[in-house]
Amino acid sequence: MAGNASQVQEDYMSVIQSYPEEKRYILAMMQDLQRQCNYLPREALEQISRHVDVPFAKIYSMATFYKAFSLVPKGKYAIKICDGTACHIKSSAVLIDQIFNTLGIKPGETGEDGLFSLETVNCIGACAIAPVVVINGKVHSKVSSSGIVDIIRSLGGHENDADN
Amino acid sequence: MMLTTSPDTKKILVCCGTGCQASGSLEVYRELNKKLAPDTGVQVETYTKATGCNGWCEQGPLVKILPDDITYCHVAVADVEAIVEKTIKNGELIKKLLYRDPATKKQVKSHHEIDFYKKQHKIALRHIGEIDPASIEDYLDWGGYQALQKALTMSPQDIITEVIRSGLRGRGGAGFPTGIKWQSCAGQEEPAKYIICNGDEGDPGAFMDRSIMEGDPHTVLEGMIIASLAIGAGHGFIYVRDEYELAITNLTRAINDARIHGYLGHNIMGRDHSFDIEIVRGGGAFVCGEETALITSIEGNVGEPRDKYVFPTAKGLWGKPTVINNVETWANIPVIVKDGAEKFASIGTDKSKGTKVFSLVGKVVNTGLVEVPMGTSLREIIYDIGGGILKGRAFKAVQTGGPSGGCIPADLLDLKVDFDSLTEAGSMMGSGGLIVMDEHTCMVEVARYYLHFLAGESCGKCVPCREGIRCMLEILTRICEGKGEAADLDMLEDLGKTLEIASLCALGKTAPNPVLSTLRYFRSEYETHIRDHRCPAGVCRSLTEFYVDPEICNGCGLCTKNCPVNAISGEKKEPHLISQELCIRCGECFNRCNFMAIKVK
Amino acid sequence: MKIIINDQEVNAVYGETLLETSRKAGIHIPTLCYHEAFGGEGRCRMCMVEVEKNGLKKVVAACTYPVTDEVSVRTSTPVIDKIRRNIIMLLYKCASGSPLLQDLFREYGCSDNSLQEDPEERCILCNLCVKACEEIGISAISLIMRGTDKRVATPYSQAAEVCIGCGTCARICPTGAIPMVDEGRQRTIWSKNFELISCERCGSFFATREELTHMASVNEALDIDTCLCENCRKKMVAEKISKYNCS
Repeated sequence: MAGNASQVQEDYMSVIQSYPEEKRYILAMMQDLQRQCNYLPREALEQISRHVDVPFAKIYSMATFYKAFSLVPKGKYAIKICDGTACHIKSSAVLIDQIFNTLGIKPGETGEDGLFSLETVNCIGACAIAPVVVINGKVHSKVSSSGIVDIIRSLGGHENDADN
Repeated sequence: MMLTTSPDTKKILVCCGTGCQASGSLEVYRELNKKLAPDTGVQVETYTKATGCNGWCEQGPLVKILPDDITYCHVAVADVEAIVEKTIKNGELIKKLLYRDPATKKQVKSHHEIDFYKKQHKIALRHIGEIDPASIEDYLDWGGYQALQKALTMSPQDIITEVIRSGLRGRGGAGFPTGIKWQSCAGQEEPAKYIICNGDEGDPGAFMDRSIMEGDPHTVLEGMIIASLAIGAGHGFIYVRDEYELAITNLTRAINDARIHGYLGHNIMGRDHSFDIEIVRGGGAFVCGEETALITSIEGNVGEPRDKYVFPTAKGLWGKPTVINNVETWANIPVIVKDGAEKFASIGTDKSKGTKVFSLVGKVVNTGLVEVPMGTSLREIIYDIGGGILKGRAFKAVQTGGPSGGCIPADLLDLKVDFDSLTEAGSMMGSGGLIVMDEHTCMVEVARYYLHFLAGESCGKCVPCREGIRCMLEILTRICEGKGEAADLDMLEDLGKTLEIASLCALGKTAPNPVLSTLRYFRSEYETHIRDHRCPAGVCRSLTEFYVDPEICNGCGLCTKNCPVNAISGEKKEPHLISQELCIRCGECFNRCNFMAIKVK
Repeated sequence: MKIIINDQEVNAVYGETLLETSRKAGIHIPTLCYHEAFGGEGRCRMCMVEVEKNGLKKVVAACTYPVTDEVSVRTSTPVIDKIRRNIIMLLYKCASGSPLLQDLFREYGCSDNSLQEDPEERCILCNLCVKACEEIGISAISLIMRGTDKRVATPYSQAAEVCIGCGTCARICPTGAIPMVDEGRQRTIWSKNFELISCERCGSFFATREELTHMASVNEALDIDTCLCENCRKKMVAEKISKYNCS
């Protein structure tokens, strides 16, 4: 496992070192790492801090300020429910309820099997086809409460036993 | 690649904006290319291109065929074969793919015949849906970079004067005159200057900037390059939301192509002026739409704004004079320079010139992007272009300006929309979101929704915004839960005024607008919540009870199918019943019912 | 240059903030987040004043507003008094445990209302602790999250490797929001324990080892081998001077 860990560290480093040692690239480094790891591991943030010579507390401050970043791993399928105004008034809250009924997770949570995580996101600019749900980059339009269950099933999600 | 084609060439335009992509337009595009490949023996000369968003996302995926001027809606991969065989080869129309006008029940051949398009006037969106955003040649074919060529023959001051005379005001929200901004920056002695394109579109319900960046990236670049000549800037930045992946891809490609063609980089078009553009991806923070927050974010900090007693035009990015305009503003610049200020200024109202792009969404029949002259009435936009309210329900309000704006009631539907009229009505132009609300929209809950949004999006730096929003949200939440108190409305107004005056940036100063505007126009709805513990719209869950009107219900079962908690039961074709014990009051049945058989107690 | 504050003509230096001009002239403008050492950031908005220029009036934050014109200023008007009262009310609601805010709540005549209070909380997010920690070259704490979730913390809310336990943050905090516990030889702050060093002369525990090491690294003149508390150090210097004077 030790070998693995250092391999992972090298992966962080190659992303970070592809940017100049300047403060203004912190955001870009974090975005690349978020894509690569599905979250921002602590070691990666520490390496950014050393690379650009900015205190770790400031790096942490940025990582928690910007909503694009997560400090904990997300599920294999990250379900993003758009809660922009158009989606909101077209009952996006119902989809959140329905996902809770099906998978037993609330926004901000990841299921125990690590398959799904749920979050609400700000308007993704697809208001004309509201309500929309984005799963791993794929936009699902005009999703109904039964539609979301079908989508989850097609991805291998099972009904939450506790609910039945 | 040369695009100039013979007049007989069939051009097939597949809309690949985000809306159509979500409905499967990329698959349609690929299938078309496969079916029309040279080895398939199709005798007709064709040219297929993926375009940006047509704005009519509701009907997507859209496929347009030129020169016949045919528009097909809701095209699926399975339809491609018929399109090739019938329409491309034989010029036959496929009726089932045509748009059916709900008013006349007639099929319409081209989108140009539809009110949704007919009543629009496109400047900022002029190329979108027509050109291939990935092709600089296509942009050049449409007259691209001619404005830049013209600007290169003008003096910097002449360019600025032209923009001032056009009367163009910033499309990002506050409507500051663009030319005056440039003039102020150009007058700074500091030689290093910057130009920024604000593409951090964050207003929930607005997506015009996304559409422009995706569908016509070169127009944004051309506007910025012209400004760099006018103010003498050497470097520019486009700050884009990281979520806008397609916009980032298309902009990146456009920047590279513009460099290759000599429009960007060292000695532009062989002249003694160098300018280059870099893309910065935003981190997901609404407050970064505020220019000082955006600037500090580019510098590599947390996006906290600063007091703007010294404008960015004097001290902006890294303390240098900086011009920052939003995407739609940049898209207007090439048109102003190329066609002249007079032509632009002839459109619009006295103090708001040109057009404005609105994203018309919510409970309206035709949703999508619409561009109309300033001064067009809300009624024309919502009813003539938008086709009225969904399911023939009653119009209640239209929200403009996102979280900084307010809700405008039915008796102001004839308001002629421009920067000043909206502000007078207690709302704001903002970036141009128009969210239509019907009778099943609770205005108190809408205000609560926006304050909840702002509580999470405020940077938290200044006390009035951070704590004021927290307290206003607390009050609104308890009103929605039926726990409101008589003094609450006065307290909301009192706190709202403090936020307006004392907050540090525009986010906090405008944060009370959704509350104050709904209090102004829908006060009785607040009072019903507080006094009668009732939500007349049937939205606030603690105050709502839905029931089925057995006289109207025909037992179609649509509500049963969509109820997330299986609370509705009944035999087919018999009136259904809602179990009040199981019902979670989500309103899904109310929204779905086509016969208005679900009632609110 | 000269500007008018509350009908009184005062001297100002071009470019300084209105708050600096006022303080030099002995005119009081209330602040909670301001410290001369760091300058104004415009966080608490207590220093809002009314500025009149060319007949136009606007309300600005004195701690960030630069004096560049011959403006006329009012430090108290009904509108401004109302803003300050509301700010105190809002801060009292979120930091009800702070004795300072409890006093100010009474002093400003805020009327009570039914909004929730948080008796456990004292922090008003003035950012002075973060600034102070940054200023001494440590940056162990920062403002994290945003909006109504914003707070001061160490990364991951765990003991920070770089923290030297100097307690500057706790001392600069106007509301006593940062717990620092000294028990015998041990200091606990920000979830980290430190060993306290005693003064060679008076025996009092006066600093952490990490603090002394840090001081020595930034100030070569400091002799870390003679561990003296600030009082004893002053005494020692005084003794040296008097010896020198006598001889």
